[in-house]
Amino acid sequence: MSTDLHEHDDRAGLAALAGLVSHTTTQHIPTLYAPASGNEITAGLFFRVGRADETLATAGLTHLVEHLALHRLGLSDLHYNGATANAYTLFHVTGSEEEVVKYLNSVCAGLRDLPMERLETEKEILRTEAAGRGNGPQHQMPLWRYGAQGYGLSSYNELGTWSLTPDQVRHWAETRFTRDNAVLWITSDRVPDGLDLTLPQGTRFPAPAATGALPRTPAFISGDDGHVVLTSVLRRSTAASVFADVLGRALFKDLRQEGGYSYSAEADYTPRDADFATLTAYADSLPQKQDAVVGGFVDTLARLRAGRIEQSELDSARAKLLKMYDTPDLAAAALPSYALSLLLGHRILTPEQHRAELNAVTTDDLRQVARETWDNALLQVPGRGVDWAGLTLAPQHSQAALTGTRHQSLEDEEVTLVIGAEGVSLLTPRGPVTVRYDACSAMTARPDGARTLTGHDGFSVTVEPTLYRGVTPERVAALDAAVPAGAVVRMPARQPDHIPQPRKRTSGPRSAGNGRSTVGWTVALWLVGLLAAAWGLLCGIITADEASATAPEWDAVTGVWILELPLAFATWKVYAARRQRRRG
Amino acid sequence: MTSTTNGMAGGGPTSGWGPTFDPYDNTPELIPMRTAAQAGHWPTVRAWFAGLDSVDKLSSAVGLLADIPGVENFLERAAAESPGDPLPRTLLAERYVYIGWDIRSGARAQHVSRDQFTQFHDWLRRAEQLLIEICAEHPSYAPAWTARLMTARGLQLGQAEARRRYDRLSAHHPHQYHAQAQLLQQLCPKWSGSWEAAHGFARECATAAPDGSNSGALVALAHIERWLDLDSGEDAAYMRGLSVRDDLRNAAQVSVLHPAHRPDWNSLGAHNAFAFAFSLGNHWEYAAPHFAFIGDRATESPWHYVPDKKSSFLKSRKAALETRGGGNR
Repeated sequence: MSTDLHEHDDRAGLAALAGLVSHTTTQHIPTLYAPASGNEITAGLFFRVGRADETLATAGLTHLVEHLALHRLGLSDLHYNGATANAYTLFHVTGSEEEVVKYLNSVCAGLRDLPMERLETEKEILRTEAAGRGNGPQHQMPLWRYGAQGYGLSSYNELGTWSLTPDQVRHWAETRFTRDNAVLWITSDRVPDGLDLTLPQGTRFPAPAATGALPRTPAFISGDDGHVVLTSVLRRSTAASVFADVLGRALFKDLRQEGGYSYSAEADYTPRDADFATLTAYADSLPQKQDAVVGGFVDTLARLRAGRIEQSELDSARAKLLKMYDTPDLAAAALPSYALSLLLGHRILTPEQHRAELNAVTTDDLRQVARETWDNALLQVPGRGVDWAGLTLAPQHSQAALTGTRHQSLEDEEVTLVIGAEGVSLLTPRGPVTVRYDACSAMTARPDGARTLTGHDGFSVTVEPTLYRGVTPERVAALDAAVPAGAVVRMPARQPDHIPQPRKRTSGPRSAGNGRSTVGWTVALWLVGLLAAAWGLLCGIITADEASATAPEWDAVTGVWILELPLAFATWKVYAARRQRRRG
Repeated sequence: MTSTTNGMAGGGPTSGWGPTFDPYDNTPELIPMRTAAQAGHWPTVRAWFAGLDSVDKLSSAVGLLADIPGVENFLERAAAESPGDPLPRTLLAERYVYIGWDIRSGARAQHVSRDQFTQFHDWLRRAEQLLIEICAEHPSYAPAWTARLMTARGLQLGQAEARRRYDRLSAHHPHQYHAQAQLLQQLCPKWSGSWEAAHGFARECATAAPDGSNSGALVALAHIERWLDLDSGEDAAYMRGLSVRDDLRNAAQVSVLHPAHRPDWNSLGAHNAFAFAFSLGNHWEYAAPHFAFIGDRATESPWHYVPDKKSSFLKSRKAALETRGGGNR
């Protein structure tokens, strides 16, 4: 897209805001500004780049640039921060005009000349940040919907924090953090003097296209106890944003107020790109109540889909959304939202237009959104599945297995790893898991030979040379040669005790959970077994003794040995019975 | 039908033919429904259902129609032709549940094959998806929620979910005998419940219902389930116990033996539950008023729990009515 074209688009979008929000360009960066009361001003510099623009192998790249760009501001007292989202990065600051100018200038200076001497430290900081962040109950949802690419990457660790080179980071800053891929907003009646926001020329990147890892929706996956999560993808509309509020209230009423099954029950609507938004609905539950939370969730959605939506539900949600126009500095408060729409290429509505649309939403519109929600839904439930409600289990295995050298698992003889010319497959009794080299998002590589390959579809196979028969350095080298270089993530050596060793399973997979208590049988086995062993020993001694005697009494020897037979038999029977019981 | 006006009065109809065990013999008003259903004549079936004057009758009739082989054929057409009407879809869903349960058979889970389970679950899922829609559109439609208690049980959706469904129903229609009997099954240990929960629920039903309601029979049904689960010997001793007897007696007095009781289609089932439970414990004098009401109108449940239901019924009835001094053939 050329610079002229997007400037033309920008102007068309902004025309709607004439009289409310002023706009100009600052060193070629489109700039929106509107005054707010108070002594301080807030400014934000958006770039249209985020996690969804990365690959699994470079995940964390944008975040790293953001951290490096802010580094020189150090420990100043300014109230500032940076944020890396899926489709954008935002640098924002609140302070005096002077402070805001200093901050923005420093960010742009940082972007022009990233402090690369800080690279390894910042990588480590990001890894520490990630370790401390923990995972929310919905963190798996993106990878199941989108796979290990684009909008699915937010489910993953920032793998790039291991392997990104200074060149990669510099290149990312030069191509994505450009004046043509940015929008600036300032809550002021003028653009402050002294701004130096010089950035390289570039192009406006549209938000990445969504990838798909769900062959059928509505779909479901299993998740942890205590949480029910739904996500769906909706076309962005005023009705869809109202619906999210209606859904949140309906869940709260049904699951908390009426049923008492949940403590929190809520819904959220977040724009994903220019045209689509992500709807997320969540309810927690007590362990004994989670069946009812799933059932209630399904029924609440069914009610809204059936169009049994009270006018009062719509009115409450609408009133809440209309309330945001009660704020005194309306235009200033709306600046981030306008700037983001401008950046993503989403239509910009004036307050009047938006109010009119809100007032025009009908319960029938909400019903349509409810149906769209269900049609594209991915539901994460604890415990049993929800196929009974008409949802399809998301794929748990790959469609096909590849051929190649076969390496049996040293832990489970029913599992075989295949390293082939096109990719790797893990063959399990329930189905194969395959990663093709030409659809490999990332392969992590350890010096000890361990490799984890993750496919675009989110399936992953780990090759541990210690856990499979015959995974020689040559086979590992074959993997390294086949996977595209850009997908390889070199990881540091592991502590020797972190390299897995095969654990032979003592019995079938069901033994732990389903087997009944065998304490009595174990005691019996010891008693009978010890008796049999003691008698056997005695038999041996007698035999030896008699054999060395001058006139061996072989009849007596046979006699004692015959007595050993029932003891040995009883031992075997008790052993067999105990094993039987253990298998349940 | 020779009707009795009051459960306390003796003289229910008896004949030389012995117990009927047939809902249509017991309640001849149902016969036109069966005739129309067997003929596959939806307009007549619909009109008959439209004439029912209580939710209790509606729930009873839905269960009976669903037990008629082949009705799914005309019900599928009717459901497609009247997408807004909850009745044909509910009947169809209930029919699917019956088809599934016939495949599963009533056996304990360990005697049911994997293939039987797969088919069973497939039918229940078909039913459930219809019922989700119906309950979403018509949240007070009792027979749909009652059917969802069966799908919840068969699909093993869990105790909390079954209870939620019952609560949604009872918010609109408290003291629904059919629904209560369904939830009681779920609360028994055989469906992952507990005796505490089963007896507790039965007591809750009996206490919460207005005097003269059938719901007190839940207490009898819970004791019968417990008896069924006990080993031979222990089971008889359990039912002979005075605490069970008193529990049954109190429940009968506030329900079907209460002066406020007005017999309806469920009264026979309730009386049969009490008669059966008292008979198991040899409490003949307490069984007597129930047999007097029943006459020949035995119900399949709970008598199908004993090997020769007909002779058991006759022997029990004889022993019971003899305590009244009056002769009965």
